Amino acid sequence: MLTIVKFVQSLIKALHSEGTPGQLAAGIALGAILGLTPLVSLHNAVVFALIVLLNVSFPGAMLGWALFVPVGFLLDPVFDWIGHTLLFTPFLTPFFTSLYNMPVVPLTNFSNTVTLGSLVFSLLSFVPLYFAARWGVTRYRATIGERVLQSKWYRALTASKLYNIYRLFRPEA
Amino acid sequence: MTVRIFRWRAIGPLLLFTLLGGVLWLLFADRIARASAEKIGTAIVGAKVEIQDLHIDLKNGDVTVRGLTVASPHEALKNLFQADELVADIDVLPLLEKKLVIDRLAANGLRFGTARTTDGRVPGDPDASIAGRVMGEAKDWAQRFQVPALQLATGKIDVGTLDPRNLSAIPAAQALTTRADSSRRAWRTGLDSLRLGAAVDSARATLARLRTARATDLAALNDARRAIDQLKQARDRVTTLERGVTSGLAALRAGVAGVDSAKQRDYAFARGLLKLPSLDAPEIGGALFAPTAVAQFQRALYWTQLARAHMPPGLLPRSGDGPPRSRRAGSTVRFPREHALPGFLLRTAELSFQLDPTATEPKRYAGRLTGLTSDPALYGRPTLFEASAPTVSAGAMLDHVHRTPRDTAGATMRGVRLPVFQLPSLPMRLDPGQGTAQLGFTLRGDTIRARWGVRSTQVQWARDSAAARSTVTDLVWTTLSRITDLQVDAGVSGTLASPRLSVRSNLDEAIAARLRAMVGDEVAAAERRLRAEVDRQVDPVIAPARARVTAVQTEMTARLAEQRAKLDQAQRDLEARIRAMTRIRLP
Repeated sequence: MLTIVKFVQSLIKALHSEGTPGQLAAGIALGAILGLTPLVSLHNAVVFALIVLLNVSFPGAMLGWALFVPVGFLLDPVFDWIGHTLLFTPFLTPFFTSLYNMPVVPLTNFSNTVTLGSLVFSLLSFVPLYFAARWGVTRYRATIGERVLQSKWYRALTASKLYNIYRLFRPEA
Repeated sequence: MTVRIFRWRAIGPLLLFTLLGGVLWLLFADRIARASAEKIGTAIVGAKVEIQDLHIDLKNGDVTVRGLTVASPHEALKNLFQADELVADIDVLPLLEKKLVIDRLAANGLRFGTARTTDGRVPGDPDASIAGRVMGEAKDWAQRFQVPALQLATGKIDVGTLDPRNLSAIPAAQALTTRADSSRRAWRTGLDSLRLGAAVDSARATLARLRTARATDLAALNDARRAIDQLKQARDRVTTLERGVTSGLAALRAGVAGVDSAKQRDYAFARGLLKLPSLDAPEIGGALFAPTAVAQFQRALYWTQLARAHMPPGLLPRSGDGPPRSRRAGSTVRFPREHALPGFLLRTAELSFQLDPTATEPKRYAGRLTGLTSDPALYGRPTLFEASAPTVSAGAMLDHVHRTPRDTAGATMRGVRLPVFQLPSLPMRLDPGQGTAQLGFTLRGDTIRARWGVRSTQVQWARDSAAARSTVTDLVWTTLSRITDLQVDAGVSGTLASPRLSVRSNLDEAIAARLRAMVGDEVAAAERRLRAEVDRQVDPVIAPARARVTAVQTEMTARLAEQRAKLDQAQRDLEARIRAMTRIRLP
């Protein structure tokens, strides 16, 4: 129950964060990479650094992550298939062999079928996801966003101490 | 309004976060590495790997493992080995390539076969883990051996009811009869379709015309030559058919032999139904010691196949199990490259171990392991293990450098405590005490050659008091309890797909002789009766089948010879007439 409440809080906070729809959508798309790919991977450290350093919505990224974790679990067989197909494509073998014998790169675990498949999938879906999210956020804010903003429970949420921590990472205009 | 791309003020928290990560790594690296090592080790061995303490000293490139316990994947409450301390001198730079290169490993206080309180086996999914798959394959392989059961008859031996549906010779004979009939029909049709009669008639008509023709009648001569050509073509057709008939007849004769073999199997089957005690010495040896011997070979095969799975030959990309995690593990593919470092390499290991650690004064031995690697083709040399001491000599070579892997292992241990044998089907135990155990195992490609032997001169026997007594078991007990020495030799040869097992021991002949003396006459009479019963049921079907084959053979041979003779005669007549007309010898 607590998880669901937190998730709803995260969703509302993200949608009403002070960033532009583009910033929020970029955060969601980056967060989706965290959710779709196995979390404990070196590339996710880079993605996390990008979320923190780039002026994208941090709550949006957390929302994207939370939304796409179950999707990642569901799509694991597809990722496995994509990764297997790529890793065993003969003309890509020299490329993967070079990567595999390079410093640091093997630590990304790219030669794992699920990791590679999910990363490729999430990178390919990054741009469509960005545009879809931006359209969705714009529509939300134009329709029911204002009413939610005026609701009592939203005010209670923003008055909490957690909100102050969130403000540290809010998008800058 | 412009939107800035970078959030500069987040650099501080990010650095702090990174620093925190570094501190956590320093604090928990040993624990994480220990947990990972346990997880990976367990996945590789197929049994629990436990480590009490692991310390990484990256600065000096040392890893120290204390209190290593590796459970046996074959026995529930036994460890494969335990080690007091392992100190590994590792190359740090290859770690950046996710490669583990250990220059030197010193293992102290190795103890084998120690007891444990919990079951350390990890049942691996044959579809998901290499260890599970290899274990399943080794078990399947071991089940290929049909270990005879030693059955000591305790009552009157009688010929029971023999169900003809269970006799394999009857359907085999019926199938042979059907095949002989269909072959005969096909060959008759084939012979008729050759239209030899037409060719012979045409030749005869030409011959008749030649008899009245003059030497200058070129048209008649040409007709004669054409007729000879037709006869030759007809003979070729006969030859072709004859070839088919010959091979078909050979198959039918093989079928007859197959029916005879089926009859022999029926004898054996019927004998098994009657539960006659075996009087054959090798069968008794197999019944007594084959399960133990097969278990030894199964273990050796498990380790060898596991080594082959984790140390495959060649440089092609190959996939292994992915890392265990809550999400799907997938497969991790390795891409070895020539002249690059292998994913795992242990250059040298110095081993110090104890055998029989429960002894009052356990002896210490030393061994050496070199070239243990995940990519033998990159390392270019086989993995070698050797250990020698006055009473122990052991060695192994895993040569996966070439396309066909060759694995050899051998060990001889003298003066060690041998395990107690519970003899199957006999209510008694054999305690060989201290003795000599030998194991030799070679797997070249899929050709196996293995030998297991036990020698002891201090055998002690114990009778299971709870088991029911019978005259036969009393006699066997009287015989065996006087024997004080033990010699068991078991061997496996052939391929993995069709291995052959042989087991012999000095107890076989003793038991067989005693059984022969006791129940020999009755067994012989029962065997005669059951053979007669099998003959009675099977012969009425086999005899017509055999006669049918003989008849087909006789008929087809005669018909083919007759047709060939007719063609030959017609050709000879024509050629003679042409020679007479032309006085010229035809080529």
